[in-house]
Amino acid sequence: MKKQRVLLIALVAMLSLVALPVFSQGSKDTAAATGPVTIELWYGAAVTEAGPPPADWVGFDIIKEKLNIDLKLTALPSNESDQDVKIQAAAAANNLPDLFMVRRDVLGRLVGQGLVASVDDLYAKMPVRTATHYDSVSQSHARFNGKSYGLADPGSINKNEGLLIRKDWLDNLGLSVPTTLDELMTVMHAFTYNDPDGNGKNDTYGYGAFQEVNNYEAWPGRRLEPLFGAFGVDGTWSMRAEDPGLMVLKSEFYDAMTFLKKMVDDGVMDPNWLAYKKDDFRAAWKQGRFGVMREQNAAFAAESNYAPFDKNFPNGEWIIVDAPVGPNGHASIGPYTASFRIYAISAKAEKAGKKDKIAELLEWMASDEGYYLLGWGVEGVNYTLDKNGVPVADGVANRDLAFSGPVGQTVTQLRNMVFYNGDIELLARYPKYTTATSKKEMSALDVLRVMQTKDWTAAVGSDTLPIANADLKRFYEQGLSEFITGKRVLNKANWDKWIEEFKKLGGQSWNDAGVAFAKENSLLI
Amino acid sequence: MEQSAKSTVLLREIKRHRSVYLLLIIPLTYYIIFKYVPIFNGQIAFKDYMALDGVLGSKWVGLEHFRTFMHSYYFIELLRNTLMYSFGKLVFSLPLAILLSIAIYESTHPRLSKIVQTLAYLPHFLSWVIMYGILLALLAPGDGIVNDVIKAFGGKSVDFLTSTKAFPWIVILSDAWKEMGWSAIIFIAALMGIDPSLFEAALVEGANSWQRVRYITLPSIKPVIVIVVLLRLGTILDAGFNQIFMLYSTPVLSVGDIIDTWVYRQGLLEFQFGLATAVGLFKGAIGMALILTSNRLVKRFGGSALF
Amino acid sequence: MKNKNPRMRTVSVTVKPTAADHSFNLFVDIFLVLLLVIIAIPLWSTITLSFRPNDYIGNNLQGMFLAPWKWSTAAYKALLGNAGFLLAFKNSFKILVGGVACALVLTIPLAYVLSITTLPGRRALSILVILPYVFNVGMIPSYLLVTKLGLIDKLVAVFLPGAISTYNCLIMRSFFEGIPNELKESARIDGATEIQVLLKVILPLSKAIIMTIGLFYGVSFWNDFFHAMLYLNSNSLQPLPILLRNILMASGMNEYVEVSAFGDAPIAAIKAASVFMSAIPMIIAYPFIQKYFTKGTLLGSVKG
Repeated sequence: MKKQRVLLIALVAMLSLVALPVFSQGSKDTAAATGPVTIELWYGAAVTEAGPPPADWVGFDIIKEKLNIDLKLTALPSNESDQDVKIQAAAAANNLPDLFMVRRDVLGRLVGQGLVASVDDLYAKMPVRTATHYDSVSQSHARFNGKSYGLADPGSINKNEGLLIRKDWLDNLGLSVPTTLDELMTVMHAFTYNDPDGNGKNDTYGYGAFQEVNNYEAWPGRRLEPLFGAFGVDGTWSMRAEDPGLMVLKSEFYDAMTFLKKMVDDGVMDPNWLAYKKDDFRAAWKQGRFGVMREQNAAFAAESNYAPFDKNFPNGEWIIVDAPVGPNGHASIGPYTASFRIYAISAKAEKAGKKDKIAELLEWMASDEGYYLLGWGVEGVNYTLDKNGVPVADGVANRDLAFSGPVGQTVTQLRNMVFYNGDIELLARYPKYTTATSKKEMSALDVLRVMQTKDWTAAVGSDTLPIANADLKRFYEQGLSEFITGKRVLNKANWDKWIEEFKKLGGQSWNDAGVAFAKENSLLI
Repeated sequence: MEQSAKSTVLLREIKRHRSVYLLLIIPLTYYIIFKYVPIFNGQIAFKDYMALDGVLGSKWVGLEHFRTFMHSYYFIELLRNTLMYSFGKLVFSLPLAILLSIAIYESTHPRLSKIVQTLAYLPHFLSWVIMYGILLALLAPGDGIVNDVIKAFGGKSVDFLTSTKAFPWIVILSDAWKEMGWSAIIFIAALMGIDPSLFEAALVEGANSWQRVRYITLPSIKPVIVIVVLLRLGTILDAGFNQIFMLYSTPVLSVGDIIDTWVYRQGLLEFQFGLATAVGLFKGAIGMALILTSNRLVKRFGGSALF
Repeated sequence: MKNKNPRMRTVSVTVKPTAADHSFNLFVDIFLVLLLVIIAIPLWSTITLSFRPNDYIGNNLQGMFLAPWKWSTAAYKALLGNAGFLLAFKNSFKILVGGVACALVLTIPLAYVLSITTLPGRRALSILVILPYVFNVGMIPSYLLVTKLGLIDKLVAVFLPGAISTYNCLIMRSFFEGIPNELKESARIDGATEIQVLLKVILPLSKAIIMTIGLFYGVSFWNDFFHAMLYLNSNSLQPLPILLRNILMASGMNEYVEVSAFGDAPIAAIKAASVFMSAIPMIIAYPFIQKYFTKGTLLGSVKG
């Protein structure tokens, strides 16, 4: 009796062990040909923290009705590394969704694994979308081995940052706007030691920054590029045809480092800069800690971002200035490149014959119907059009449902798939407003336009150059930062020694590979 | 003859425990599916894993991934940092947690001990993002509270978070700060099981409080302490990825980079899953060696060992 | 003099406390008070941070301790108004309940079996259990398994792979081992099967440890971001840690948006508030579990 029971349980357990994998394999590939085609889409949310489109979002019905597509949405995690991990895990199990947003570095590895379908044939199938979204730079952005493996949609607008200085501090101290690096240094000294805000406390600094590093803006990164630009060594790579290669290997880079070191040693750099993360930096300028910074247009001037500063310093004023001119006449806010959000189609989807359907979906998104629905929602519910035809949130009855409200944001999560930085978008995204306390007329769009007129270094495609392996990258960043913190003494001999070691560790071959790649893809100018 | 007698004894023992084995079926099935199938898949540590070829179809590459890791430029430093943090936390946080649990148990003020018990585990829920914010407010070179104090006394402000000297301490102390109360829970649970008649006997024999802790309380929870230490030794090369990843920055990489952060940058973010798995096995080998050694030591001194 | 130590209340003998006892009590209380202060710092500063108004200005010391006179509940309002919050909470709750139930049902029998010292094959079994704990092969081998089992995009995928934590299991075993053998033996002699011994003898005596291990599991499932991120795809299945991570790690927060998702609340406040809000169930649960932490749990049973 007991024995039988034991046997029975053992049997059931064994069976379930065997059956589970079988079950899961069977459940796939059974999609009928007649029903709607299911398309799994892993998207990058417009506002990740706002939550996904609700299950009863009208878009699902319209897409099903019009295109016979059953759209299954997955919001990718907000953090880029998390996105990479999620996508690569799915890739490792050959379980990628049909259509997914992916960073270029990761895409390259997926291509190497044969997991992604080429999209070259799709451009012709999406004439409307291609006209607004995919120019030649875009089409070559995700090209590997001669084929395009990703639809590179326009990302953030380029040159959307500027060098900003506290005008009110300059006025308080009777200083004029600095134009050269030397003048900037004088101003930063005054900002640090001459109590520019007149509060009687020694609590201000010249320059504020944090380490923001990426493929084309290597350490110390984006926030300090205007200083390195004055030496002509802004960005990771020199894309100049006459002397291409890694900036760190140029002799001017040493001079730029010396300048930065002096800033730090003189105490004019906010000493928290190495410890700050993005949010800390952004909270710091709103508290009036420093008087010079490089900041992004919306992060600076969008209404909710500027409001705390406005309230704290009604008389405070940031102005956008020209990049300071360095000893050899160089000046640049930093390198700029065309930024994209890449959407790729899995090889699995291609095999299942979904590619054309995906093109149909994307083309529909570029139609007026798709554009407004995904970009702003339903007219009258989530937005109204003003007299210029620009969607605005004002006329909406329930402000929560407005495209900028907490609920409205959920139905416009896919807007990055339709936006291409056209004028309507920019006007809708960056409306003019009057600040609450100081009653200033502000617009992040005006700010953007001014920022774009400043000197920038063209480096289009420099973000597609080969990247260093993790050890080399660490050697690079750690070494440079140790020169600045004083752990390594910054002098010519030490510098040369460090550069030699960097080259030996793979820096030279990284440089050579980058130059070769740039030449091959005619990125040099 | 003797052999068969032994085996009949064994058989009888097995038979006597047959209902025990019954209890095992489900957990064991679980173990095979959810723990051993992944280990089987772990063979990608010796393969050049290609998603389309699958685990079995990918090409063998022998020990290449292990070599990549062990010959990597920072290997020795990574190992040193990892061990430094693991042992640092083990010898610092763990005794603190034990001390805390005993203090909660022994306090003559029930309300105080109740409050501490209720609050102490809460920092565990503050994620490291939040903890970093707090550390920044305390230690920032510009306006951190600690530096404000230093400056008020005429000192020069110290860049704690980016100093290679201070950073290891920050990691170990902040871990103790955040996790001490949480780690103490298990010891509190163990203390609750002590038979009070033991104390009665001690009292009769005239032992004072210190002696009581020394000769009754501590020995009573020793088995749990031993198990916790043994298990922590098994994962000695996990030094707390989430914490370090949040706290470290470029100037302190030389003392901040640990094996897991390296794997994260090198393996996971660069589609080198074979490498990541190989490092996992490497960590396992070290952990296993430590467990085996310490398990033997524990046995020799008559403690309750793992196996 | 009556000894105030609650543990001593059960003790019939009264002995006058010596100087050593007094110094001991003093030491214990000073230690506890010190710890209380140290622990209160991060808790209190997180609370003040979560109530920080958008236009906050002041130094760190004020920020950490003195901010409350300008409290703003904007962060909490924004979070409660967040469309995804309730849904995420619900999903997390399902994972929590399913996970803890599943984990305890699997862990308790295994821990019990491992605690039987006379069991033939116990050593081999222990090694079998410890090996996967030490050799952590990482993300991809497990991901492949979960995919094979067809559990991708199912809530169970978040807790099933971690339903037996070797660490918890062996801790539990060590507690089971502490239960006097005579109790089990007498039950066995009375003809109880092992399942009955477990249910009738072991479990009633192990409430504290089962609650504790349940708490460990509960917290790990409740906080589990990584597996949820890997295994769940559908937007409707996302649990709280995903939302929390999106808030804490949002890389482009406020950057390209005209209005942030959280209106007037500063990001720092949102982060702090979301940490608190998501920890609430665990904060509520612990005092309940504490009730089972009564001293001398074994006393009654051993003496009969």
